[in-house]
Amino acid sequence: MTMTQSLPGTSTQAEVQQKGRIRGVLGMLWRDKFALAATIFLLVVISCAVFGPMLMGDAALSQNLRGRNAPPFSIANGWFYVLGSDSLGRPLLPRVVVAAQNTMLIAAGAVLCSSIIGALLGLVAGYASSRVGNVILRLADVIMSFPSLLLAVVVLYILAPSVGNLVIVLAITRIPVYLRTTRAEVMEIRQRMFVEAAEVMGASPVRIVFRHILPMVIPTLVTIATLDFAFVMLAESSLSFLGIGIQPPQITWGLMVSQGRQYLATAWWLAFWPGLAIILTTMSLNLLSNWMRIALDPAQRWRLEIGGKANG
Amino acid sequence: MRKLIFGRVLSSFFSLAALVVMVFFLSRLTGDPAALFLPREATQEMLDNFRRLHGLNDPLIVQFGRYVWDLLHLDFGQSLRQARPAIDVVFEGFAWTFQLAAITIALVSIAAIVIGSLAAFRPDGIFDRFASVVSLIGASAPDFWVAIVAIVVFAVNFAWLPTSGTGTVWHWILPVAVLFIRPFGLILQIVRGSMIQSFGSLYVKTARAKGVGNTSIIFVHTLRNAMLPVITVIGDQAAAMLNGAVIIETIFGFPGVGKLMIDSILQRDFNVVLAAIMVTALAIFVMNLLIDIAYAILDPRVRT
Amino acid sequence: MKRSLMSLGAALLSAVHLAVPASAQNASKDVTIVLGEGVDLMEPCMSTRSNIGRVLLQNINETLTEFDVVGDKGLMPRLAESWDQQNDSTWRFHLRKNVKFSDGSDFDAEDVKHSIDRAMSKDLSCETPRYFGSTKITATVVDPSTIDITAEPKQAILPLLMSIVTIVPSDTPMQFVRDPIGTGPYKMAAWNVGQNIVLERRGDYWGDAPQVEKATYVFRTDPAVAAAMVQTGEADIAPAISVTDATNAETDQAYPNSEVFYMRIDQGKPPLQDKRIREALNLAIDRQAFVGTLVPAETTLATAMVPPTTLGFNKDIKPWPFDAEKAKALIADAKADGVAVDSKITLIGRSNLFPNVLEVMEAIQSMLTDVGFNVDLQMYEVAEFEDIYGKPFAEDRTAQLVAAQHDNARGDPVFSMFFKYHSNGPQSGFSDPKVDQMIEDATAATGEDRAKKWSDLFAYLNNDVVADVLLFNQVSFARVNPRVTFKPTIATNSQLQLSQVGFK
Repeated sequence: MTMTQSLPGTSTQAEVQQKGRIRGVLGMLWRDKFALAATIFLLVVISCAVFGPMLMGDAALSQNLRGRNAPPFSIANGWFYVLGSDSLGRPLLPRVVVAAQNTMLIAAGAVLCSSIIGALLGLVAGYASSRVGNVILRLADVIMSFPSLLLAVVVLYILAPSVGNLVIVLAITRIPVYLRTTRAEVMEIRQRMFVEAAEVMGASPVRIVFRHILPMVIPTLVTIATLDFAFVMLAESSLSFLGIGIQPPQITWGLMVSQGRQYLATAWWLAFWPGLAIILTTMSLNLLSNWMRIALDPAQRWRLEIGGKANG
Repeated sequence: MRKLIFGRVLSSFFSLAALVVMVFFLSRLTGDPAALFLPREATQEMLDNFRRLHGLNDPLIVQFGRYVWDLLHLDFGQSLRQARPAIDVVFEGFAWTFQLAAITIALVSIAAIVIGSLAAFRPDGIFDRFASVVSLIGASAPDFWVAIVAIVVFAVNFAWLPTSGTGTVWHWILPVAVLFIRPFGLILQIVRGSMIQSFGSLYVKTARAKGVGNTSIIFVHTLRNAMLPVITVIGDQAAAMLNGAVIIETIFGFPGVGKLMIDSILQRDFNVVLAAIMVTALAIFVMNLLIDIAYAILDPRVRT
Repeated sequence: MKRSLMSLGAALLSAVHLAVPASAQNASKDVTIVLGEGVDLMEPCMSTRSNIGRVLLQNINETLTEFDVVGDKGLMPRLAESWDQQNDSTWRFHLRKNVKFSDGSDFDAEDVKHSIDRAMSKDLSCETPRYFGSTKITATVVDPSTIDITAEPKQAILPLLMSIVTIVPSDTPMQFVRDPIGTGPYKMAAWNVGQNIVLERRGDYWGDAPQVEKATYVFRTDPAVAAAMVQTGEADIAPAISVTDATNAETDQAYPNSEVFYMRIDQGKPPLQDKRIREALNLAIDRQAFVGTLVPAETTLATAMVPPTTLGFNKDIKPWPFDAEKAKALIADAKADGVAVDSKITLIGRSNLFPNVLEVMEAIQSMLTDVGFNVDLQMYEVAEFEDIYGKPFAEDRTAQLVAAQHDNARGDPVFSMFFKYHSNGPQSGFSDPKVDQMIEDATAATGEDRAKKWSDLFAYLNNDVVADVLLFNQVSFARVNPRVTFKPTIATNSQLQLSQVGFK
């Protein structure tokens, strides 16, 4: 590996006016229609999460046993029933909207906690002495081999199942992924010329880690985090299925999917809409993170600036 | 390299010990197995007798001492539920899970690396978009949903494959295929991301400028450089699978260690839980060691 | 580790042979039965546990007597040809002759004695003693085909209790076994843990030879998969598929599964001590609205803790009607008298109790909230649930409604009533000296008198005490391959006799 490494000085961002920069970013977003669609969808999800329970909280809980499993695409009972109703006759559209809040809180909470803690530990493990690094790695081994389900049973047995405790359980189990990935990247990056140059010039370890190494690691972490979003939403669903997840009348997409499971053959829409919400959220996050990686990387931004005709 | 291996074995031993201590005490915080094993209508006499027979009356620390002493004699204790040595129960399940994980991870790695590299070659091209969308839908679809739909389609409607169970090669196809989907999406994305980053780096451009053919760019220069995070993620996925694919095992009636672990946790069969954790942890430690060795081979600078 | 490598190798080898899946064994007399719950033990003295009993009871191991839960034949002879009462506490059983165990040894009174001693022994933790409570049982061999069994204190239903004790050979060790030996029409041929259990018909069975030659039991937790297996011909009988999968009238049939679903009322905490509040709880629930929606249309409303086929079942008790207005009035009335009607009540359920338990619980919660109760729903996994369901109850709890299922297919309320309603019963939510006395009297009574006493108790509990919120006599669905004949009954939940399976 004697090839030229990417140089530290590539971040030659021109000092543009703040306004102009935002307009530039929006312009780039406008040109990539996939990323634009993803952004719009995520904004919709976020507004559902913020305003949904206020606007539709009651409708989401109104049961009607005689109108159960009503098929979708009929507005005979009103717009709320356009996605059909569930096994208790509750309209699915408000339920999916209202569930966005808990789902986002749990998924974002768990992903943020685990990625921040994991990345910090990974940075230390990769940059500090090998002894410290080893201790941290073995800690990751312990977490990885500790069955996440047992952890969930223990935590939720001692504490009660609540959004906060679910976040704790899910975050702990996901830390090793970020930790190990970060460390692996750091091990590689720290050998590069620009880091060595910075070391020679007497930069403090903290400055090297946060100014030079971290920015190089973030793209990979973001990719994992977006996929982990889906993982956490589905893991939460299996906890609900085991009866140690979120408790009704609270709802999450995961809980809705797991409740709809037994109706797969007779009323597919029960599990389909929340499942679709999970899939679309994941895909939007992923598209957006891919776009951001390019948009934020000066070496690759030209791809977006010349429009979608990028070629390799 | 020898030092690396020796150090790892030593430190792994300590983490295993820490794991055993943690699981032993934490699991016993979660309830009384006697109430679960015996019927609800059991008399106090029956409960007392059960606790006496299984040494559950002693203080926790005495129970722990006894457990460690037996462990030093390679005795992992009896399974409460199955009335036979816990380690036998675990080995049976682990053999199944190990095969399932090994087959799946091997297929996933090959497919994800090949398709991910091709996708990264022309980012945002038709192939890349298609591969991304398909793999992402797979990665975020609930696996029990996929499993049941797969059974309905391939076993019931077309009758190409058996619904579930074990016995022939055909029985393996559906579980492996369903298990394949999620790690495939994840690893594909990592491969693609890493490859794009490597393509962007100067030395690949240099190689291109020198007129090296497309194929060799991918497989010689870029792939090697992009492998470190990919191997890490493959390792993590493999570890998760060694811990057992609970839902797949449950739906397909596959007697693996994941189903065993969940049943043992819910039934508070502590000896089986501990033995299962030790066996899978050992497997995960060995695998992580192999990953570190792979790092060292791929990137000599990582050797410390 | 060496073992693991060996079993690994064995498993790999077994996977390699490329046989096309053996589907429908059309002409053969073999059946495959797909069960929902795995079998962890094959121990005869644990066969009262339904997952074990379904494979083992009366197939491998038999009992002295057998209770006809389905018909009206009452207690029937099995390994005992007849029995008579010697005195208050002793019964004499005359045993069937020329019966052999599957290991070739002869069946005699010594085996019965050993079986009873073993089941009651403290060297292993059998389930059997739970049916005897504090009664001490002594067996005395009179001659090889006669045995006296004495109960101390006297036990009115001793012959019925003998339908619970499975008979094993006298050399069976005093620890749990994994290879049961019995006198039944089948013997265990193979047990591949986690995969299947194979039973083969014996040539030297004492009774009529059943039609099925070989039965293979497989285990699938997911009811949809079990249903699919019968549909594709991979299996012949799936005794418990989900109601949502039971869509084919030709193969699927409903049957009562002997489980009663009810909510225990915790009279230890306000506001549930007040009888009006307990009545309001009963009136608030529209039981009929569940039937045919969340629970199968074949479900009947429960009026007692035991299914209608039980001795002394009181047909005069009517299910509580749905009357939200009256419930509200009762609550208002109680409030006027200073009862803390706004206190929080925790509705407790068990996850995976039956497929859509969560929806049922949510519906109950919403009905109770509609009439003005302050109800929180909390679902628990099995261990935590059992902890809450059984005594001692936590002192700092809120008032509780615990939704549970109780299964009594054994013909007599004695196996239920003490536990659920006596002041000292481990799952009883109240204490009433009159109820205690009634239970004790009925337990000691015999014949017509016994039935009458149980009937009175059911009526008193439902009308005067308002002890609980009884909901449904649950039903299950079985899917049966058209090539075999099998009629599921109320007994199917706890035993599945292969002799009742035939071929078309």
